Order: sequence, then C-alpha cells, then structure tokens
Amino acid sequence: MKINVGVIFGGRSVENEISVITAVQTMSAMDADKYNIIPIYISKQGHWYTGDKLRSTDNYRDMKRLLSEVEEVYLRPIYGDNRLYRVRKPLLGSDVAATIDVILPALHGTSGEDGAFQGTIEFTGIPYACPNPLASANGMDKITMKMILKECGIPVVDYCWFSDKEWLSERDATVRRIEAKLHYPMIVKPANLGSSVGIKAVHDRSELIEAVDNAVTYSKRIIVETLIEQLKEINCSVLGDYYDCRASVCEAPVRSGEILSYEDKYLGGGKNKQSQGMRSTVREIPASLPQQTTDFIRRTACDTFKALACDGVSRIDFMIDQADGSIYVNEINTIPGSLSFYLWEATGVPFGELVDTLIDIAFRRKRDSDFKITSYSENIFAYQNVHGAKTGGAKR
Amino acid sequence: MTMTPSLIIFAAAYLLYWAATTRYDTQMFQQNSYRPERWRRWWLSTGEWASRSQLLSLSSAAIFAFTWHPALLYAYAAWAAVFAWAEFSMRYKIRLVYTMRIKRLLATRTLLTAAAIALTASYAPHWALSVAMLLTMQGWVVVFDLINRPVERAVTRWYYNDARRILRSMPGLTIIGITGSFGKTSTKHFLHRILSEKYNVLMTPGNYNTTLGVVRTIREQLKPYHNVFIVEMGAKQRGDIREICELVHPSIGIVTSVGEMHLETFGSVENVARTKFELIESLPAGGLGVVNIDSEAAARYGCRTAADMLTYSVDNPEADYRAGDIGYSAGETTFSVTTPDERRDGFMTHILGSGNILNITAALAVADRLGIPVAKQRTAVAQIRQIEHRLSIRRSGGITILDDAYNSNPAGARMALDVLSRFAAEGRRIVVTPGFVEMGARQYDNNRELGRHIAMSGCDMAYIVNEVNRQAITEGLRECSFPEERIHVVATFAEASARLAATMRTGDVVLYENDLPDSFK
Repeated sequence: MKINVGVIFGGRSVENEISVITAVQTMSAMDADKYNIIPIYISKQGHWYTGDKLRSTDNYRDMKRLLSEVEEVYLRPIYGDNRLYRVRKPLLGSDVAATIDVILPALHGTSGEDGAFQGTIEFTGIPYACPNPLASANGMDKITMKMILKECGIPVVDYCWFSDKEWLSERDATVRRIEAKLHYPMIVKPANLGSSVGIKAVHDRSELIEAVDNAVTYSKRIIVETLIEQLKEINCSVLGDYYDCRASVCEAPVRSGEILSYEDKYLGGGKNKQSQGMRSTVREIPASLPQQTTDFIRRTACDTFKALACDGVSRIDFMIDQADGSIYVNEINTIPGSLSFYLWEATGVPFGELVDTLIDIAFRRKRDSDFKITSYSENIFAYQNVHGAKTGGAKR
Repeated sequence: MTMTPSLIIFAAAYLLYWAATTRYDTQMFQQNSYRPERWRRWWLSTGEWASRSQLLSLSSAAIFAFTWHPALLYAYAAWAAVFAWAEFSMRYKIRLVYTMRIKRLLATRTLLTAAAIALTASYAPHWALSVAMLLTMQGWVVVFDLINRPVERAVTRWYYNDARRILRSMPGLTIIGITGSFGKTSTKHFLHRILSEKYNVLMTPGNYNTTLGVVRTIREQLKPYHNVFIVEMGAKQRGDIREICELVHPSIGIVTSVGEMHLETFGSVENVARTKFELIESLPAGGLGVVNIDSEAAARYGCRTAADMLTYSVDNPEADYRAGDIGYSAGETTFSVTTPDERRDGFMTHILGSGNILNITAALAVADRLGIPVAKQRTAVAQIRQIEHRLSIRRSGGITILDDAYNSNPAGARMALDVLSRFAAEGRRIVVTPGFVEMGARQYDNNRELGRHIAMSGCDMAYIVNEVNRQAITEGLRECSFPEERIHVVATFAEASARLAATMRTGDVVLYENDLPDSFK
C-alpha cells in the first residue's frame, strides 16, 4: 500500500511560478514505489486543480490549456475528512478524486507560507510537512520574526517598523522616528512578502520616502533596517522539529548589485535559458568560511528554527558585515525554494531521503498533537454540581 | 379472514410486541457472541425461558388455537402493548448494535415470519394467530441465524481474505500480539503510547479482540503509513488465538497473565495457559516472546517456540526485565526497570496500581527491542493517561471515584483495593461491587476471598450488587469481622448510586469494582 501524498503548490502569491518549479522538482525526486503522488495546483485566482499534466513545467506555458486538461477539486474543512472532492460531480462514479494521507506543501509567499494555508489544513486534521500556523506567520512577517529572535538573544540588525496608515497619515513624524533610531544607509522592506519584491536600499531621506511610498503599495506593514554595505550573505538550511533539528552546510549565493534581486534568484544563470529556480543562481556550496563562523551560523540557524517553533525544512538567511565580522540573522523561509534540496545533497542527504524525513516529521507532529487534550468529552451543560449551591437553581 | 375491529387492534399491538421481542431476542444473542451453546446456557441459567414474555407468547398461542373471542383479543392486545412499551423504555447498558450481520438476520426473520403468517392465514386461517404468537418466543434468533449461516460464512470469508490481502501489501509492518487473562488492554495502551514516540502505531480498538474484530480493524483503520500494528487477542475457547495468529502472523508476542477467567468454557487453568501460549508458539524464528513470570500459571507453562524469549516481573531476580524500587507519592508512582544487560532505568507514571507497573514493564521490553531510546521511553511513560474504567480516577464535587468497572478478575480487584487502602482519604472508603462472575467452580471461593480483602483494606462500607455473589462476599466480610451494619445489599448499580448520592460526604472515596453485562440476571 502506498502512502498518498498531496503535493500542493502554486498559490495566490508573487512566487506562484517558483512554487511550481519547487513542486515539480520535488515530485520527480519522490520514491514512486513508496508514495502515490497527487499534484494539487492552486491557480493565481485561488482555485485548486489536480491532474498528471501538472507534473511537467512545459505544460505551464499555456495556462488556459493546462487548466482545461486537469480537474478542479477542493478539500472540506471538516476534521477527519481527507478526501479531495471533484468540483464537477460525475453522473456515474465517485465524486472523490483522491484520498490524502499527508500533505507536502511547496507553496511560497503570501497565503501559502504565512499560515493561511496551514490554518485550513489544521481544520481537516491531515498531517502536513511544514511549520504550523504560528511558526509560519511569525517566520513570514519580518517584524515579528525579529522581535522574537531579539528576545531570544539571537543577533538581528536594528530595525524600525510601522503600518502603511501610520506612514500615510504621519509621514514626517515617522521619518523622524526612523532617522532617530537608525542611520543611513537603510533598507526598506514590506514586512510580509517574499523574494525581494518591493525591497530597496536607501541612502538619504528622499530615497527613503520614495522607497516606503513604493513599499506601502505592496503591504500594510513596513520594516526599515540598517543596511550592511559590505555584505556577505550566507544561507543555511535546518531540518527537523521544534525539539530535534540539524543544520545543513552553508552556502554563499553570489549576487549582482547590492542585494539579491528577483532576477538574480530566478532568472539568472546566464547561458541556461530554462528556469530552474534557486538552482540557477550562481552559488558557492559549501561556503568557504572560517570553521568558527560556519559553526556559529549552523548553531544559530538551529536556535532560530527552535525559537520560531518550526517543523520541516527551512532556510535561514544570514548576513555577515565584513566591516567588523558581525553576523546577523536576516530572515527565515519556512518553505524554502526547491526545499533547499541542493543544500541537503551537499550535506549528504539525497533529495529522496529529504522528502522521506519531511513526511516522517509530519506524521510525528500529528502523533504528538493527538496525545494532547484539545477538548473534553464532558458536556458542561449537562453537568450537575453535587451540592447544587453554585447553580443557584431550586433543589430538586 | 375478515378483519374485525378486535382483530385490527390485536394486529397493531402484535406488530409492536413482535418488534420488541425480536429486538430483545436478537440483542441477547449478540451479547452471547452469536454462540448458540452459550446462548442456551444463558437462557436456562438466568431463567429467561420462564420469563413473562414467554408466558404471554405461549399462552396466547395455545388459546388462539381454540378461540378468537374479541374480549380475549383485546386483553392480549393490551398485555402485548404494555409489554412492548416496557421493553422499549428499558435503558440497556449495552444496546443492540445494528451491524450488517444483524441487519441481514433481521431481514431474514421479518421475511420468513411474514411469509409464515401469510401462508397460514391463506391455508389454515384458524392457526394464523397461534403461529404469529409462537414466532415471538425467544430462541427463534438461533434458528434464523442458522438459516443465514451460509451467507454469513461467505461474507466473513470475503472480509478475511481482504484483510489478508491488505496485510500482504504491507510487508514492512511490524505486528505485535498481546494476550492474557487480564492486563492485555492496559498493556496494549501503554505499548501504543511508548512506541508512538518513534512509529505510526495502530492498535485494535476497544474490545475488537476477536478474529472478526481484527479483520475489521485491518479493513477500516490500517493505513499505508502505519509501521506497527498491535493486535489484542482475546480467547473464549481453545484455538481462538491461533486463528488470529494465522491471519496476522505476529513477530512479537506478549502474554500478560494466565488466570481463572472463563473457566466454564476452558475447563481448567492449564487449558487457559495452552490457549494463551498459542501466541508465543506461533512466533517465527527471530521473533520475540515476552512473558509475565509473576503469573504462576504463565511461568509454569513450558512452551516451545522458535522465537527469542524474555520474561518480566516485579522483583523476581530471575526475570529478564525486572521492575523494582516502587515508590508512591502524591499522585505519582516511581519505579526502576533493570534490563537483561544490567542497565537500570528510572521511570515515573501517574497510572495507579502495581499490576500496571508490570504492564508497563512488558511494554518497555518491546520498546527496547524496537529501538526506542530510553529518554523517549521515559517521557512517554510520564505522559501515559489513564484508561477509563480501568482503575481510573475521577473527582466529582468533593468525592473521589475510583472507576475499576472493566476489571473482572481477582488479581485486579486485589490491586484496586490495595490502591484504595493507600489512599489519603479524609472521608470514608466505600466499595461497590457485584463480585466476579463466570468463574465456574471457583466462583464462590474467589468471591469469599474478595469479601475478606475488602474487610482487610480498611473499607468503611461495602455495597454488594446483585444476589449472585451476595452470600460468598458476605461470608468473607464476616470472617474478617466487618461490621454487619456497614454491609449494604442492593439489586442494581443504579440502586447503589442512588443510596450513595443520598449519604455521601466530601472527602469520601468510592471504588466501583467490576461491572455486570446486561445479559446478566
């Protein structure tokens, strides 16, 4: 009997296409003898589809055609119901397209990585291999992430945060507040998007204002951080759960310009035209660093993972200020591009084994949660106090 | 046949009466495990054969052979209606479960009954009412079950083969069997909790410990991601355990105890031992058998098996897994377990009763074999939750209730009384029990022993439920000078609860020891 794995990808986010790449890579690496692979694609409009045609990236060139060759499906948010239902019920035959034993999410960005999707799955009770709503939300939001890490003594750069409405109604006061706390150059980011969208380095007030005006078109929450000019970026992946986890080798992505841009990440790679996701970024694995630095980064990556209560596989991006050697945690990706398989392959964990471990973590988390009491079978409305005094009612 | 008013009224009452008697007949057959022999013994020994409904059915059948006088029809209609109303108002502890088999049985019965009445009404009309009333007597369920046997056999065979197919498709599944006269359900729960630290574990639920129960568990609950399947194996007669082993082929087996249960079907304790050890004897080479040597009959039995053997006990130095250093403090029991390679690990649990420490030890032996690290064993044992009705503890409005309703054997009762006696109670210690049943020739002695233990455990009051063991328990109580006025005799648990509710005070502790099935009269 094969385990039915629902690989869910796509989504209403700017990283929809990246997610498709992650999913297709993952599905080709999964052991087809152990797993029954069920691809589930969420379109940019938020509709869910399943079908074998979803497994090849070529088919995504013509979206209209692809969506006509697959069937639309949905999950019911009913606890214990793990069936994927067809939207169009057939006259004869079942209205169940598949049953799902475990979900492997390959969603990036908004609604997929920020806890919204995770919350929906929590309702069904189906085990899933990524952080729960709490960890997802905190990991996605750059502000809460930094607040938590700071509280746990994990190094992050200085930052200042505010809402879009605060900026738009009290701009001068906000600018003064930012300039009082931080010094130029700074970096402006929407707090909860991924993949470098809306991010801009600023060197003076006019650039700051322009950058924030741009950022508020993307998000309600804005964060401004000190910019590290002599920056070296190091990434490290962590695999495990909130109690037991290990770190991969470090990588040093090589970039163009001051920060790794959307183009760098996904469209770079020079000769190779075909988009291969994170694989095509030029990178150095393992990063050539002093042993002490590598150890510190790997240890801090695990601390970050645990502080944020993560499960599954995450990628933590670090920044080294080459001016003074300080190391900071920049951000965490709770569902990293390509599931960071290339980092794990370099660490001695082949992609297939990575997937097996993720699925095992998903089941383990479900087992552990099932042993916790979440509701009492007693109906308190039916309860009668032996002495009768508390209820205040007449004695029978 | 003309439908006079009295006949119509009678027919209406008859329908209700037929439904009531059919349901009761079927329900008691189900509670006797669909076994005609067992049903017959129950029917005779409880006096069911002379019950009021039988009287109604038989007398009416006789009378209606001679006359259908309207007055008689009305009279019997009234009696039948009252009886039906009483039957449908009864609150049974164990109700009739409408399984597919029951549905098929009821279908056959309804059809054939209707056909019989219709045929008689057409060809020998003056016999029609008699036939109808005869068909409401108890025992017809056995006949109809016999008629359905071929269909049931085919259905069962199909389900069985389906279960076998499913198991074959999961060659990597580790299958563990647990059997014993008592302690098997608790051990199953503990093992499930500990192994869940590392594996996806399925255990047969509740009392699905028969071959059909196991078949159903496999077909309905076994999933491809399960790594371990724990199968609780119950036995009512020789060969029952072997039958389950032939389906699941366990590689690990635990025998928790051999005791004096179901002696009227087994005959002797030796037979009980032989049946339980069918599990160990079915294990393959490279498998593991785990046996409790604190249970005398289990320790004595010389079994032959290809598998490795491990024994466990509390304090016996010869055992492979030895529990010891047992300490009790507020709500916690601590103990140590020494392993074959002389490692000694400490544990803490919230579960009550020394018998349960034995059960946990058995589970730990298997956990070691399946590679659960000791640290995880420890956290699992610390988190084991109590099982309802198995010496579970509940507090309600200032009163502590020790619920041991599912225990039905002397060793368990001794353990429960031991826990009760150690309880730091500000109020009184009260025991409510019907004693033990189904113990064959040993029943009287075992219940007298129980009476003695109750007296020696410092109980302040004893409520004896049902008259079956009244004499035996009372004799035991008197032998140990238990004050006569503190012995209360009640007919049912409901009556005991009512009396207690009236007299209970804050700080009292009540132990409910053993329960009686509805089929018990």
